[in-house]
Amino acid sequence: MAEHGWDLLLLYGHTWRKDYFRCLVNFNFSGPHAVAAVDRSGDVRIIVSDPWDAEAIPGATFAPDFAAALPKASTVAIAGREIMQARFTSPAHVSATYMVDELRRVKSEDELIRIRQAAELSDRGYQYFAQVAEPGMTEYELVAEVEAFLKSNGAEDNFMLIASGGTEVVGMKPPTGRKLQPGDSVTTELTPQIDGYWAQICRTLVIGEPNAKQREAFAIFAEARQAAEDLLKPGVNIADVARVQNDVFRKFGYGEYTGPKYTRVRGHNLGLHPDENPYVLEDVDYIVKEGMVVIAHPNTYLPLSGYMVFGDTLLVTANGCTSLNTAERKLFRK
Amino acid sequence: MKRGWITWDKTELPPSVFETRLAAVRLHLSHKDLPALVVYTDVWRSNQGRYLANFMPYWNRALLVIPRDSAPVLLCGLSPRVYPWIRSVTILEDIRPNMNLAKMCDENGWTKIGVLDLPQFPCDLSVPDGVDVPWSAIHPEPDEAELSMYRRAAKMAREILAEESPSGFDHEFVGRLERKYRRAGAEDLVILVTNGDTPPQPPKGLILGPASSISIAMEYRGHWVKIVGPGFQPAAGLLAGVQLLSGPYPYEYCHSPDLKPGAIFAAVTESAVNGKRIFQGGTYRLGPNGQELL
Repeated sequence: MAEHGWDLLLLYGHTWRKDYFRCLVNFNFSGPHAVAAVDRSGDVRIIVSDPWDAEAIPGATFAPDFAAALPKASTVAIAGREIMQARFTSPAHVSATYMVDELRRVKSEDELIRIRQAAELSDRGYQYFAQVAEPGMTEYELVAEVEAFLKSNGAEDNFMLIASGGTEVVGMKPPTGRKLQPGDSVTTELTPQIDGYWAQICRTLVIGEPNAKQREAFAIFAEARQAAEDLLKPGVNIADVARVQNDVFRKFGYGEYTGPKYTRVRGHNLGLHPDENPYVLEDVDYIVKEGMVVIAHPNTYLPLSGYMVFGDTLLVTANGCTSLNTAERKLFRK
Repeated sequence: MKRGWITWDKTELPPSVFETRLAAVRLHLSHKDLPALVVYTDVWRSNQGRYLANFMPYWNRALLVIPRDSAPVLLCGLSPRVYPWIRSVTILEDIRPNMNLAKMCDENGWTKIGVLDLPQFPCDLSVPDGVDVPWSAIHPEPDEAELSMYRRAAKMAREILAEESPSGFDHEFVGRLERKYRRAGAEDLVILVTNGDTPPQPPKGLILGPASSISIAMEYRGHWVKIVGPGFQPAAGLLAGVQLLSGPYPYEYCHSPDLKPGAIFAAVTESAVNGKRIFQGGTYRLGPNGQELL
């Protein structure tokens, strides 16, 4: 703060994006708004918009008029300013979002404990997913079962997408009333949250015996995922982590399926938000650091199999990376 | 997070309901001489976009633009790969893969535009010459279709909670509720628990028992309701809080005198029993004859 000339730093969160608040005050507030205000002396004031949150956070103040209660100073920087409502900020405020994002990228040991717990739960959650999925079950019933399992086992929340079907499936989405059928590829990403921190696993399951094209497609995804893990280490540009995945698809003649028409990203950071930047994309320039937590997932559509997913939560170590997931790396079948 | 079954049952909400709502928007735009209204929506602030188009972003955010003289347009942060799904659950046909409102204004020659609740617009989204259109101007009171959905949601919330007595570890109890609500079609849930020493909070390993209160905020097809129990008795105890459910957020603290006629809200009471804090609450509508329990 002193280097930037900031008198006051506000860490703002709302119900969707609690992460800027929780990086300093790790409480799962009900919302919709919360802010932690840090002055140069290091004193922290907490203001919340829900009275039950104020009772739960020691020293917090409940402010029915949240905008009026926000602390003022001559130079105010805000992490999360971009997502703030216009009435909460002014043109004189500056954004501290990038700076705080950068501080958050390298995880502490304390944070890694929580991320490891979330990864372990994602493994068990996927095992449960594969156990309960069966022909005739709707997508939303399957999601209900998995949600129940994850919440029963301590998840604060879970971000999950799903798809089922064949070559007509071009991406994942929220569950529908579609019933699982023999031969379906059932794709999911499970992202449970433990004490604020998210970890993710991506796997594909086939209802019945995988056909030759599903197996051929999975072999390409497996090679791409392995290429990312072989490369990921401190000092590598995140663009290259995307490129080595895409190069595998190009080698097999499927380069066109690595672009935005068929896929979003080749991975992303994880932490207090389930979709943190930097994104793993060939046009993102960022040098990987030890202690970052990244999922590398070559998820995309292929005409062989439809949409397919595969990826683990990876911790960047001094000399490479290690997976925090232990679920089998295979094309699951049921 | 939104991950339950998002669908559009046209027997519950016929397309004509949305046509009527959009007609009210267009009438207001005409009175104010505005060419279009823009509505911000994101994962947690989705009630208004849902009301007007049945659109709810399960992730990311979007701008719903309702021109005065043509069909609504969604400027969307989501991938074009999910547009077919969006079209299947909304009234929307024209979906565009960016949130460049300035470009759209330029293309249409719009020099000013109505913005729903302009002071609450995210500050990183630029609106050229935005004019504030308060939510109350286009949504003075819930229509019959909306009320019917709220009633259905409140009934579902009550019936499922009545089937489960708080017991055992809070996480496991919450898991049982998640399974039942989501299998019944709940889109989203926020469940808070207490064993009587604090207000309801996210589960943290408590053992639940007779003094426990459970707070359930549940979204059924875009309509949030809240119930706190078990054994809800209207008006039992002191009023501990009022939350607006028919505003932009799923629920938001509200000073009860500020509630406007027609508001859908949750009222929660607190009483002391054997030194424990017991919370109860339900979902109400502020009707012409006072508050009506839904």
